[in-house]
Amino acid sequence: MADIILFLPEIVCLVMALVLFFAPVCAWRYSTAWGIAIVAGIAAVSACLWTWPMEGEPFFAGIYRIDFFSQLVKTALALGYLLVVAISRDPRTLRPATWHEFPLFLLLSTVGMMMMVSATELLTLYISMELSAYPLYIVVALHRNRSIGAESSTKYMIQGMVASAISLYGMSFLFGLLGSTYFAALDTQLGALALQPMFWLAVLLVLSGFLFKLAVFPFHFWAADTYQAAPHEAVTFIATVSKVAAVAILCRIAALVLPASESLVHARPVLMWLAIVAMTLGNFAALRQRDLKRLLGYSAVAHGGYILVGIQTLTELGLTAALFYGLGYAAMSLVCFLVVCEVGRDQDTVPIESVSGLYQRSPLLAAALLVGLLGLIGLPPTVGFIGKWFLFSAALQQGQFGLVLFAAVNAAIALYYYLLVIRQAYMVEPVSAQHAEPIRLRLNAVLAAAVATGLVIAMGTFPGFFWNCASRAAAALVG
Amino acid sequence: MPLLSAIMACPLIALGIVLCVPATAVRLIRWTCALSALAAGVLSLHLWHSYDTVAGGMQFVERISWVPSAGISYHLGVDGFSTILVMLNSIVFFTGVLTMWDLEHRVKGFFAFMLMFVIGVYGVFLSLDLFFFYFFYEIAVVPMYPLVLIWGSGNKEYAAMKLTLFLLAGSALLFPGLLAIYHAAGLNSFDMTLLAAHPFDPEFQVFVYPFIFLGFGVLAGMFPVHGWSPTGHVAAPSAVSMLHAGVLMKLGAFGILSVGIRILPAGAVYWAPVFAVLASIGIVYGAFVAMRQTDFKFVIGFSSVSHMGIVVLGLNLAVLGQAGVDALNGAVFQMFAHGVMTALFFSIVGFIYDRSHSKTIADFGGLGSQMPRAVSVFIVAGLCGAGLPGLASFWAEMLVSLAALKTYPMMGVAIIGGLVLTAVYILRVFIQAFFGPPNPRWQGLRQVDLAGWVIVPRALLIGVLVILGFMPRLILDMINGTTIALVENLARLEDLNLLGKF
Repeated sequence: MADIILFLPEIVCLVMALVLFFAPVCAWRYSTAWGIAIVAGIAAVSACLWTWPMEGEPFFAGIYRIDFFSQLVKTALALGYLLVVAISRDPRTLRPATWHEFPLFLLLSTVGMMMMVSATELLTLYISMELSAYPLYIVVALHRNRSIGAESSTKYMIQGMVASAISLYGMSFLFGLLGSTYFAALDTQLGALALQPMFWLAVLLVLSGFLFKLAVFPFHFWAADTYQAAPHEAVTFIATVSKVAAVAILCRIAALVLPASESLVHARPVLMWLAIVAMTLGNFAALRQRDLKRLLGYSAVAHGGYILVGIQTLTELGLTAALFYGLGYAAMSLVCFLVVCEVGRDQDTVPIESVSGLYQRSPLLAAALLVGLLGLIGLPPTVGFIGKWFLFSAALQQGQFGLVLFAAVNAAIALYYYLLVIRQAYMVEPVSAQHAEPIRLRLNAVLAAAVATGLVIAMGTFPGFFWNCASRAAAALVG
Repeated sequence: MPLLSAIMACPLIALGIVLCVPATAVRLIRWTCALSALAAGVLSLHLWHSYDTVAGGMQFVERISWVPSAGISYHLGVDGFSTILVMLNSIVFFTGVLTMWDLEHRVKGFFAFMLMFVIGVYGVFLSLDLFFFYFFYEIAVVPMYPLVLIWGSGNKEYAAMKLTLFLLAGSALLFPGLLAIYHAAGLNSFDMTLLAAHPFDPEFQVFVYPFIFLGFGVLAGMFPVHGWSPTGHVAAPSAVSMLHAGVLMKLGAFGILSVGIRILPAGAVYWAPVFAVLASIGIVYGAFVAMRQTDFKFVIGFSSVSHMGIVVLGLNLAVLGQAGVDALNGAVFQMFAHGVMTALFFSIVGFIYDRSHSKTIADFGGLGSQMPRAVSVFIVAGLCGAGLPGLASFWAEMLVSLAALKTYPMMGVAIIGGLVLTAVYILRVFIQAFFGPPNPRWQGLRQVDLAGWVIVPRALLIGVLVILGFMPRLILDMINGTTIALVENLARLEDLNLLGKF
């Protein structure tokens, strides 16, 4: 039963989820449920760190794999969950009757994502993907304003299901070609399969389910609407934790076909063009937005494109860079959404004007927003800069000079709309007296802001440790 | 003691202190900045003094591996060029802090961003690692947006946005260029000395060089990508204009020199005639536009375009061979001289604006009798710009002109024409603003003329200009060794016969 240790993070989360399940049943106060959720987060992070050096396949060989890659990503997922819960002490955009369920759904989704990154078999992958998706469909619908909740949730759910159906369709192709649902079966047959266009079609179809989570073109339509209309705390989770899982799975699948990357005449240009379209579309659409969350939604589309630049190289370096950037992006995104949650606590939507005069209302939040946005722009000393450096470096290693130039120009265009937000926070006076009152931060929000901003800056100035982790993870993945 | 890291640490420690103290501790913030600037200045003097010009080459090298697997290391070192540019930054930093001593509006933020900028600039001048070079380059660019936006004047929102977009567009060209250099070398190292020694394929160099040159050229205010610089100078507060025109634009020229010309010499040779022509156009164009301006700061802004054209022209002539040593010495000398001169210009214009709340030339007239000291300072800076013997710019402009006359006589004519035009627009300002009949509106200014310690930063800058005007050897001895080594290196490329291929 030594195997059980390998499964520790998932077990911790499941047990805590069971405890949380009793919160609404026994009508505990929200503060109790929240406290349990925090404990769950801390326990999950500790369990993940505990299992860092471990490796193995618990229970059934070939289905579920624990290695450095999976444990690194699980740590990030658990930490993301912890930080999101930490800022959800007072989630006023959620219906008060559903506050208790909120951390439970987040935790269940986290479990799903944890299983997803360890899955090495198609059905396990699919089931864990659905487990991670359904709780999120629900939390989006928990908005206190039912019509807003219904609209954004419906959009999110329908598109998510379509994407997952496409994924499943691709998986059926793969099963047909391989005669097995195990990824391990691919190793022996890859040489022969790589010559078949059908195989690449199947891989691309499988990828699409995860491109949906990453909001990459053509699965990006939900991003703007859901970001804008979902409860702030729920979007924070979708924009951070869920992205990490998506990047991890894209890396996992890309790593599977890596040995055959020479015969990639079909798949690679497709991914490259998806990246190009996603970047351009996200950045140009964001230029016109007046709503902060919607703007961040389009920015997420663009960032999905940047991450895809790393993945489409189909090299170990590219996957390392994508993973590194994915982790960094989650941190930057968390910083920005943390500010959104605090500033827009009582608002259903958060227009850019909401951050006016933020430097007076809360210098700490203004500084956090500055760091987060500098990161998204890609300027030092944040992880956004060095992350892009690694991503573009991986693409240039493959000689894709034009792609890198295009992506760099895109990053310069994106500058404009991020700067408008910075200008609003630092330069413009608040629109009304009601919006000019100082924002008092709770200790939990201050701590979450400190951890997230600290990560953004630490990964940007001392990238050595994080980069080594990412490359160790990618090495474990490629095998 | 690691001297170079100590220089970098001065503003970094000050930044840490400024960020930690409450915003109301204005005096503490000012004194922290002034003392850190002073400390950095003293260390730069020490560096200048102890740089061994006989031995030459890279000295005071420090190296700490940063991300070994990606070939990135924290790698500092100075040659003759960077020594004088570090000195320039220290001078402008110190005088800039003193110039902004009376700032009342959001003091903490201002000095925090200014310190961040200074750290970036020191980093660029000192880094020998291509990654950190670019890292610090971007660090220096970032704070310009809030500095112009929040503390600027006039059309500041437009200026700040234009400036940042232009500079980041330049970075977008640099990004693939720098990474292409790294991957083409295949050394798994961003060490600039190793890359400079690596023989890149000439065709590759010819392909990548324009990206590097134009990317840095934006920051150097090179024609035709100079549009951000006059608008930015005008809108920025005085100390930011000083740092901006005095130091930031030098980063661009320094980048062209230490990445473009050193690492991609064949590309530089191939493209030099084209870019030399652009620089010559910039010299004359900047001067012509400056003649028509009605605002003090716009005159200086366009004069910067014109004067930085001399630097860029010098760099390109250095590559072309015939008078390489003179051209490069002149270009680097001009970086220093123009930095000090512009800092003086913006410092005094800022002073006049603070007292009169006007920057429009036509508003004044006979200001010379009302603010004699301030006007004298302006006149010194103006004459320096026009290349008057006895002031620093004379030597720099003379060296580049001579080199241009030897290489391309037409370009020599362009420079000399540009200098004549400089005299015209500067004298025009003198006549219209300073020596006409006194405007009674400004009678009150007599009481608030430059006096007391406010003179200190301006006197310091004038002192540097005059000392170098009479003793150009101070600079030339420092840079000559580095120049000769670089030009000899370029001369070896002659057998490639790339010149005139364009």
